[in-house]
Parts: sequence; C-alpha cells; structure tokens
Amino acid sequence: MEKKVMNLMRKGALTCGENMTIREVAQIMVVNGTRYCVVTNGNHQVRGIISARSILRAFGKDLDQIKAKDILLPYTIAVTPNSMLKDAVDLMSRKKIEHVIVVSDQPGNKAVFGLLHIEDIVTDMAKD
Amino acid sequence: MLRVCDLMHKGVSCCFPEETVKSVAKMIQANQFRSVVVVHQSGEVWGLISIGDLIRHYGEDLEKLSAEDIMRPYKIDVDPQWPVERAIEIMRKRKIEHLIIIDPHAGPKRPIAILTTFDIIRHMSQIETGNYEQMLRVYDGISISSAP
Repeated sequence: MEKKVMNLMRKGALTCGENMTIREVAQIMVVNGTRYCVVTNGNHQVRGIISARSILRAFGKDLDQIKAKDILLPYTIAVTPNSMLKDAVDLMSRKKIEHVIVVSDQPGNKAVFGLLHIEDIVTDMAKD
Repeated sequence: MLRVCDLMHKGVSCCFPEETVKSVAKMIQANQFRSVVVVHQSGEVWGLISIGDLIRHYGEDLEKLSAEDIMRPYKIDVDPQWPVERAIEIMRKRKIEHLIIIDPHAGPKRPIAILTTFDIIRHMSQIETGNYEQMLRVYDGISISSAP
C-alpha cells in the first residue's frame, strides 16, 4: 500500500505571530533548534512559513524593524494527512523546501495540524 | 567586519564517491546531519549531498545508486577570510544552505569546515552557543504560543 502523509508527519508545529520581529523569530528557531517557524494570525490560521533561507534575506538589515509577515513564504498549497506521500516529496524537491505544512482535511479549517519534515523522509529512506 | 571563519563550524562529514546512497542515507539519519561532503581518495572535495538532493530519489532503489550519481558537483571555493555577506550572496543566488569552506593553507580543495544557514541565524539571534541562562531569558520574554 502506498504511504500517505499521515504515516510520516509530526503532529504540532512551532508557531509565531505575524507581527513578531525577525529577531524574535530567529531566537525561537535557535532556542528550539529548528529551521522553520510557522506564521499564524490571531485566529491561529496559517499565514505561511519562515525558513532559514528566508531569514537570511534580512541579513544586514535592522532585524528589530522587519516583521514576520514581511518575509514569510505564503501558504498556498494544501497538503492534508490523506495526501499521497510521494506527491508531497515531489513538491518538496521541486520547490526546494524542507518542511510542508499539513492542515486538517475538514473544509474551512486552516489551523496547523502538523508538519512533514525532510529529516523524517530521509529516515524512511534509510530504513531497510 | 564579520568573516566566514567567525561563524563556520569546523569539521566535515565525508563519504567516498563509490559508496551507495543507502549507506549515505543511513549515515545522515544516524548522525542527524543535513549534508555530506563527497571527497576523492586523495582528500579533495568532489561534491556535496544535502538532504534536499537525497529526497529527490525517494522511492528509487538506493542500493543501485552511488554517491557520485546524486551529488551536486561543488566548484565554489569559499575562503575562511571572506566577509559573511559574500557567502550569503552565494547561498541566496544558488538556493543552497551549505557552503564548504576550503582552506588554501591546508592544500588544494581540502575541506576544513561548513557554513550553514543555521550558523548565520544563530549569529543573527544574538544567542551565544551553550548560553542556557540567556536562552531561558528569551523563553521568558516571548510568548511562544502566540495566543490571540
């Protein structure tokens, strides 16, 4: 049977508000040792994701002035726990991204359900 | 001026070009690496395999592929004395997250260190490595749950 996203995804994600400064987002990432931070608005709806590469774009600028919503990668592609894993991995390698936000498949709900990490896919590949 | 040698972390994880992709994946998974440098027997850099390159071959027979088949040939010589801005510019242009630092004093194409995006973010966040007291202060200062 073909694997689905729900077999490999991790539930829950590290989030930050859209009005946080880049310095705060960078601190959240360093303290938790992650390379992503999901940006949500006041209603816990997904706005996008900030990756390590998008923070680099702000290097040399005033990090206390730039807000998370200015540099986030907007969330556009809906991946649900029932999506095929192969499609999600294709999406990751095509877009050169390391994390895919998984939202619940119920209509109208845009809260973060979990995250598909690139490390978990490598773990799956390393298995015998 | 901030230089590459101030932020890079020393030591590289290496594999040989003839190793199978399966063993590379196992090595990455067991050690929680994000990239492996492919070196020739003589110690020269040949290429780089990041986990992004690895997942491109998801679902294929990894025993039949060798590291040489999937590696990205690495032709950029980043000197430890370069300013960090120049390294970031290369990362941004090529959309890569790892740069192999090559020391001209150690011999031609000898890798000595790696600069990752996370090293730069650690500098940007102004948290010193292993400074737990400061980390706790950050935890106090920010509401990580971002409740409305």
